[in-house]
Parts: sequence; structure tokens; C-alpha cells
Amino acid sequence: MGIETRLAWRNVWRNPRRTALSVAATVFAVFLVILTVGMASGVHEKIIEDAVRLASGHVALSGRGYRHSMTLEQFLPWDGRIEQAIENTAGVRAWAPRISSFALISIKDRSQGGMVIGVSPEQERNVTTFAEKVVTGRFLKSQANPAAHEVVLGRRLADRLGAKLGDEVLLYGVAYSLETAYALFEVVGTMALPDPRLEKNLAIVHIDAARDFYVYENRITEVAILAENADASVALLAELERALATSFAEDELELETYAQMMPELVQLILIDDAGMYITLTILVVVVGFGILNTILMAILERAHELGVVLALGLKPMALFRMIYVESMLLAGLGLVIGLSLALPLLAWLQGIEIPLTGDAAKGTTELFGMQAVMTFKLEPSNPILSTLTILFVAALAALYPAIKASRAHPVDALRSL
Amino acid sequence: MIIEAIDVTKVYETRGVETRALDDVSLALGKGEFTALAGPSGSGKTTLLNLLGALDTPTSGKIQLDGVELSDLSASALSALRLRKLGFVFQAYNLIPVLSARENVEFVMELQGISLKERRKRADEVLERVELGGLGDKRPLEMSGGQQQRVAVARAIASRPSIVLADEPTANLDSGTAQRLLDLMLQLNREDGVTFLFSTHDPLVMDSARRLVRLRDGKIIGDETKAPSST
Repeated sequence: MGIETRLAWRNVWRNPRRTALSVAATVFAVFLVILTVGMASGVHEKIIEDAVRLASGHVALSGRGYRHSMTLEQFLPWDGRIEQAIENTAGVRAWAPRISSFALISIKDRSQGGMVIGVSPEQERNVTTFAEKVVTGRFLKSQANPAAHEVVLGRRLADRLGAKLGDEVLLYGVAYSLETAYALFEVVGTMALPDPRLEKNLAIVHIDAARDFYVYENRITEVAILAENADASVALLAELERALATSFAEDELELETYAQMMPELVQLILIDDAGMYITLTILVVVVGFGILNTILMAILERAHELGVVLALGLKPMALFRMIYVESMLLAGLGLVIGLSLALPLLAWLQGIEIPLTGDAAKGTTELFGMQAVMTFKLEPSNPILSTLTILFVAALAALYPAIKASRAHPVDALRSL
Repeated sequence: MIIEAIDVTKVYETRGVETRALDDVSLALGKGEFTALAGPSGSGKTTLLNLLGALDTPTSGKIQLDGVELSDLSASALSALRLRKLGFVFQAYNLIPVLSARENVEFVMELQGISLKERRKRADEVLERVELGGLGDKRPLEMSGGQQQRVAVARAIASRPSIVLADEPTANLDSGTAQRLLDLMLQLNREDGVTFLFSTHDPLVMDSARRLVRLRDGKIIGDETKAPSST
């Protein structure tokens, strides 16, 4: 250890109480930053995961224009080429084909418009959480006979219609051939969905039954695809584009990430992030001032001693380094302790879902259609960026006292007591 | 000559009021001298010592150290010069409190880039020389004033400077301790050829000095060289 570092380290411990207070402030800030960012990561991931698993996955593939019109005219040909391209694409966690359109759902004298989604139950279970949301009855059977005509309704839709398990509802819509389509479907289950709008509108049938109903033959409307995680969505979209380009013209298909399909979700996360970062910035700046105050006090107290070391031949630049190292040691100590407290706690909290209650929780569910839970996630970027931010602020805070010390005139410094 | 002040004037200005601390002073010191700058408070002895020690710059005139003109040097170059050529002993000992006695003695040598082995050897030697051989691991606050000043002398001579500048080194010591410190410095001067320049108004130091330069109101009013003592 060089003389500058040795002196800096010993000077850090010269006033243990002041050092402890300064370090404690950094520890507190690091702890709070790590946990807050960890909670934001967890909650945001949960929001996205909940949203994509009740919609069209991280990436949705559809016929060009389908997302805008939601009509059966914009279809995907279901002749094996799309399946092959998706299967050959790296980074696909799961995928599920769908036939989605609107229909009037009636029972006795009650009717309600709704979104009918035809799904392949086995594949759908891997992509969305519809099957897990069934609260009465059951989800669709994997190997259903298309003629069986089963439907799972959103709970509020079932309530509005007064439909119970075993009842038959009439689906009334327009087929691809533009002829009137109608058929009876037996209610086999109801789903409680976090998004109330979805719960009021959704009816899920087997994809083969939907194909018969809409006379859709070798077509589907979309494929919902899950990436390994939300961050991989854009990369996966690019991979899929490449894979599909060999079989399809560019204007035939449309690929969209969840962020493009649900911009309001991204906005919500951005607004939440902005609020969080403003709070954390204030916190980190306070830490910076804490370090500045500690070091400034230390050099004012040691002005005479600094004059001595300058007189003995320590170069001004070496003195600058010594003060700088002292500041960084203070910040570093706080960082190490803060990280060693926060990271194990965050690692432990990871995967635990803490349910929220009260009006705020109810509002979250009503407004955003998401489960009101607090979750945490430890991403490598969290400690790395937190460390770099604290070190940067400490480096900035150390600048003034270090410059002040290094510019001291030996005679003036020696005169000070 | 090791060190020379030529027609040096130093004027301080405080709130528009000028104070002439040194007025056209010339002084030269040769190798092996044991010289005291004496005079009452405000006579300019500390100012002259600071100028000769490259800690301050004159308003006019020149300071030369081993033939190098100091006025043209940057702060960094002056630091390097002090490090290589000068040893300091201060009135208030001015040891670094977070370093042990041995580390204090090694401090200047470490800045000079001397290897750990060599500086440890030299530090132990000079600590023995100042009769503090067993106290190398003590921190300054664990030592008496006399012991601290001996460590300061050890620090000043360990790096083998051209000259040791001592600013009222006995001012904070009782007469017995002061006498022992002076005896030690005389011995170092006589046996090791270390050159000393003191600022002082302590009669003990003045009596021990072989050359006595008297200052008053920023001017040299006397410069006498005594015959070498038999002790």
C-alpha cells in the first residue's frame, strides 16, 4: 500500500464517529437504492409478465393490418411454414396459434358482445395464464372434439349473461365467408381475470371449434409468442423476421412486441421509473453532500498537518490523490456494507410475492388490470449501476476538497492551527 | 555555498497594509554549519527560514539552493526540491499523528522512492541515533514532547538532506529536554556533518550555535562566528 493510500485509510478512522455517520448515510442510501430498484424491476417484470400472459405474448405475429382492424380478412396462412419458422427460431420460450374475432354471446333473452378466442389448449397453457384463471369448472380439454363446442367465459361475462356451468350459450357472428355464423357452446368453466375489461368480454373456445365456426379453414389470425423475458422481445422479433423472410413477403405479415401493442403499459412503467429515479437522485445527492461535508471538515481540521506534508515534499498532486482516495474509501466502505446488506435481502425477497390490500391495491387491479402484489428482482445491472452512481457522486463530491487541499500554500497551512 | 539569500525582501500585505518582514537581506550558509538566526518576535527569522526552505517566495531578491534559483520554480518543482535537499524540524514537532515514529521517520524517504528495506534500515539507525530505538512503533501521541521532537529530528536527517532547517525547535521543551536535543543535534553536526540552520530566541540554542545571525525589524544586525568549542 502506497503512502498516500495508507495515510488516507488511517485518516478515515481518525474520527470514528464522523466516519461511522458518513458511512451509515451511504449504507442507508445504497440499501434503499438497491431495494427500490429491485422492487421496481420485480414489479415491472410482473406487470409485463401478467400483461403479456393475458394478451398476445412478448411478440405477436399476425397478418398485416390485423391488429388495427381485428377482422378475419387479415389472416395468417396455416400451412406449416409459420410453425417451421417459429420452431427454428432461437429464443422462443413458447408459442400458441389463435383465431380471434368478435361474436354476440346469448343465453335465453340476454346477449353480450365479446371477444372469442380460439386456442390450442395445450400450447395456450404455455403462453397465457387463462387456464390458471379458471375459478369454476375447467379449462378446455387438450384433445377436444371440435364438435363438442365448449366455451370458457370470463366471470363477469358469465354473470351478466346469467350463464352457469353446463348451460349452452349461442355464439352469433360473421364467418370469413361473410355468412352468418352461429352455434351453441356449452359453458365448461369461468375465469377470474385481473383485468375487469377482459373479464367482461372474453370467451375462449377450442381453435378447431373456432375454425369451424368462422369457416376459417387453413388460416389463423395470430400467433402469441413468449420470449425468454421481456428484455429479449426486440431481439426475438428481429430473429423471427429473419426466419419468416424466407417464406413470406414483408407486407404479408406483421410482428409486434408487447411494447408496440401495449404502449400504455410502457408509459406506465416509464412514469413509475421517472418518479423512482427522481427520489433516488435526491437520495444520492444527499449522500454526495454527506461525503463532501465529512471530507471538507476533515481537511479544515487537518489544514496544519497538510501544510506539514506539503513542506516535507509531498507534491500537490499527491495530496490531491490522498484526499481523493480518502473520499472514495468512505464511499467504498458505505458501498460494501450497503451492498452486503441489501443484496442478500433482495436475493431472498426475489420470488416472494407480497400481496397488497386496501384501496390502492383495488385501484391497481381496476385501473391497470394487474395483480396487486409487490415483487422483487435482482438484476445484475442493479448493483452495478448503483455502485457506479454512488462512486460517481462520491468522486464528484471529493473534487472540491481535494482541489482545495492541493492548492494550499505550505506556509499558510502551517500557520493554521 | 549550500544555500544563499541575495538581497531578499519580503513584504506581506494584509487588508491594504504592507508589512516589510525582511528588508534587503543577504545570507549564505556553507556545508557543515551550525547556525542560529536569532532575534525577537517579528524580527523576520521565521520568514527568512521559510524563504530559505523553499516554502515561500521573496517579493524581491533571489534564493539559491545548491546553485538552483528558486524563484522560477513551480509549486511541484519546489516540493521536489524540498524533498531532495531539505530537512525540517518544526516548533510544534509536527509529526503525522496517524503514523508510528518509525513511519514518520520513513515518510520523506518513502516520498523519495527509497525501497522499504533501505528506508527501514535507515529509520532504525537514526532512531537509535536519537536514542529512541525501542519506540519505533509508538504513535506520536503516545510520546513525550522531547521524544516527539527527537523523532522530528530523526525524520529530518534520515533522508540525508543538504541542510536541516529548524524553526524554534526547543520552544516547546523544558530546559533539560532542550539541552539534550541540542546536544544531539550538535553531535549529528560534528560526527555526521549534518548542516543545521535554526531560528530561535532560546539562549541555549544561541549559546550552542557556532554562527549567530542576529535579526531585527527584518534586517541582519549582526553575524558572528564563534570559535569551535572543545566539547
